[in-house]
Amino acid sequence: MNENETILIIDDEIQIRRLLDITLSANGYKVIQSSTGKDGLIDAASHHPAMIILDLGLPDIDGLELLKKLRDWYSKPIIILSVRQSEEDIITALDQGANDYLTKPFRSGELLARIRAAFRATENKKDAEILTFGSLTIDLVNHIVRKNNNIIKLTSTEFSLLCLLSKNQGRVLTHQYILKEIWGYSYIQQTQYLRVYIAQLRKKVEDNPSKPSLIITESGIGYRFGE
Amino acid sequence: MNIGKNISNIKGPKFKIRINHYLLSTIIIGLTALVCIPLQKMQGYHVVSYIFLFIVSILATFVGIGPVFLAAALSALVWNFFFIPPHYTFHIEKAEDILTFGLFFIIALLSGIFTTRVRRQEYFAREREVRTNALFQLTKELSKASGIDEVISVAIKEIQEHFDVKNLEFYLQDGNNVLSNVGKINAEPITSEETKIAEWVFNHAQKAGANTANFNSIPVTFYPLPGTRIVPGIAVARHEQSFNDDKKVFWETYLTLISNALEREFLDELAQKVKFFDESDRLYKTLFNSISHELRIPVATIMGASDTLINASHPGNVQSELFTEILTASLRLNRLIENLLNMSRLESGRISVRLDWYDINDLFHKVSEELANELKPFSFKIIVPEYMPLVKIDFGLMEQVLYNLLVNSIQHTPALFEIILQSDYKNGELIIQVSDKGPGLPDELLPRIFKKFTRAKSSKTGGLGLGLSIAKGFVEAHKGTIIAENKKEGGAVFTIIIPSENPGIENLQL
Repeated sequence: MNENETILIIDDEIQIRRLLDITLSANGYKVIQSSTGKDGLIDAASHHPAMIILDLGLPDIDGLELLKKLRDWYSKPIIILSVRQSEEDIITALDQGANDYLTKPFRSGELLARIRAAFRATENKKDAEILTFGSLTIDLVNHIVRKNNNIIKLTSTEFSLLCLLSKNQGRVLTHQYILKEIWGYSYIQQTQYLRVYIAQLRKKVEDNPSKPSLIITESGIGYRFGE
Repeated sequence: MNIGKNISNIKGPKFKIRINHYLLSTIIIGLTALVCIPLQKMQGYHVVSYIFLFIVSILATFVGIGPVFLAAALSALVWNFFFIPPHYTFHIEKAEDILTFGLFFIIALLSGIFTTRVRRQEYFAREREVRTNALFQLTKELSKASGIDEVISVAIKEIQEHFDVKNLEFYLQDGNNVLSNVGKINAEPITSEETKIAEWVFNHAQKAGANTANFNSIPVTFYPLPGTRIVPGIAVARHEQSFNDDKKVFWETYLTLISNALEREFLDELAQKVKFFDESDRLYKTLFNSISHELRIPVATIMGASDTLINASHPGNVQSELFTEILTASLRLNRLIENLLNMSRLESGRISVRLDWYDINDLFHKVSEELANELKPFSFKIIVPEYMPLVKIDFGLMEQVLYNLLVNSIQHTPALFEIILQSDYKNGELIIQVSDKGPGLPDELLPRIFKKFTRAKSSKTGGLGLGLSIAKGFVEAHKGTIIAENKKEGGAVFTIIIPSENPGIENLQL
């Protein structure tokens, strides 16, 4: 469904660009490459890619800076590539509007899945009234959640949490973002609330709460709603 | 040159004492004369002379030679004037009286000389005792001091106590004969000319500066600190006054003791450095050997497999096997790099622990997911009790810890055996155990199992021997402990204990 979509890669490592080019082209995407932040900005403006894959460690502009500049006018998905040690950078990037992140080295299968999820998420945004994920359906209008056609009782907080996550399916939501959205600014550091609610929610909506497939933990960063 | 406190302080007070003694002698003789006036009438004037002689002899034991003479002269004159007939004249008629008159002086002189000599000896004996004690004290303190810094501070303290030095500085060499300042009392920065003199003193092992034969135009004196085998450095001092011979010997003995102690510490540090370099050299070689070995194997696999794939076409199953090999090799390479990075983070102290509340289930699930393929051959179990609260940890670091522990179990446990990952919470402490029913840890390895580059011979896939040492480092960054044991019923168990308060979520609005 996203065949022939154009993806812009901004990365200074030629080998990574080449690998991404081969992998993405083989999967039917059109690829544009930029090796510097400056070129990336120009390419983004002139080609209007459907997605940008951005490396945080660029030689000329700080990746986070570039992300901010892009987000001023670019509203399509941006996926961040980074090295593992920069957990805080990842959180900042996600809070600044990046849709997802991958740490190098990554598996190309994983990257493709993330790309698909990001595209799908933008499509899903069209005010659907009922969201369906496997055996789980969420009626956003009537606040009814069904699993295997049985109604599940959720508290209002649990419901808001589920809605927030599921509406952003495929996208990583940081702890702080979720806390802010559900509980408000003053709760931004109260991660323990989030943990407790996530655990409760998992017990209600997951097939196997100890091996969650819907509410997926992103180590030290946040949660993502799975497929 | 230089003067010690004890000697310099003696002149002033002694002078006062002497004046007092002259006065005292005069008064005593006067009093004696008064007492003797009635006595003379009863006993005759010869008795008076004996009393005077007696008083003079007594005085000689208390006062110096001058006051004794004064006393003798006064008594002679008083006796002569008031007591010897004819009274109130200095005229002496009898020969025996002249003799007694003379005797006064001779006795006064002798007792004066003797007592002064005795006193002097007493003074020197006391002074020697002070010095002996000081030297003894210095020796004792120096022998207790460990490390150059302590020796210097002991030296400064002791010198301040026993010598009158205005400035004092020590310059020690660094092992390459370059001097640097290590300790001082009120030192003014030395000039470049003085720096040159300092080097000259160091190189020639001779003193220079004020009150010496060399460069004596400058106000400070440079002393070499000669050891028996090397010259550890020099001392620079500015003295108020010059030393007398005795004090000079004392000072030089002091410096010798200090330089011996410095030399001892200096050689000790040198030996340790050499040992350290040997050790790090050995470590470096081990690291180098094992890293190149560990890197080469996956690289060889990747090269070989991709080469095979490029050069000829193969049936689908062979192809996918080769691809799997490449993937496995690169994962192994990645793990190696990850461990090396973590080790260097640990060793450089750049680990910052970002504690937050986490669900232990999440942690366990995440790790077992990462190792899903590797864990497949085993009977793997996760046990988390119902009452398990949230725990405060750094998720990323703990993920690494459990990953490394599980990889360790996977490498040492035969397939189909049990590997268990479980948690508990007791007395405000998070307890995590990774246990297996494998062969257990070799006894000889147990004491150093968390040391880096420790590897068991039974390891299936080599590795650098960093995993457990990183796990320990990360657990300790959480202020926790990790221990490795063998279970009675067989198999190894790693127990992690991390302090973690109970989260205050009882009042949570649902």
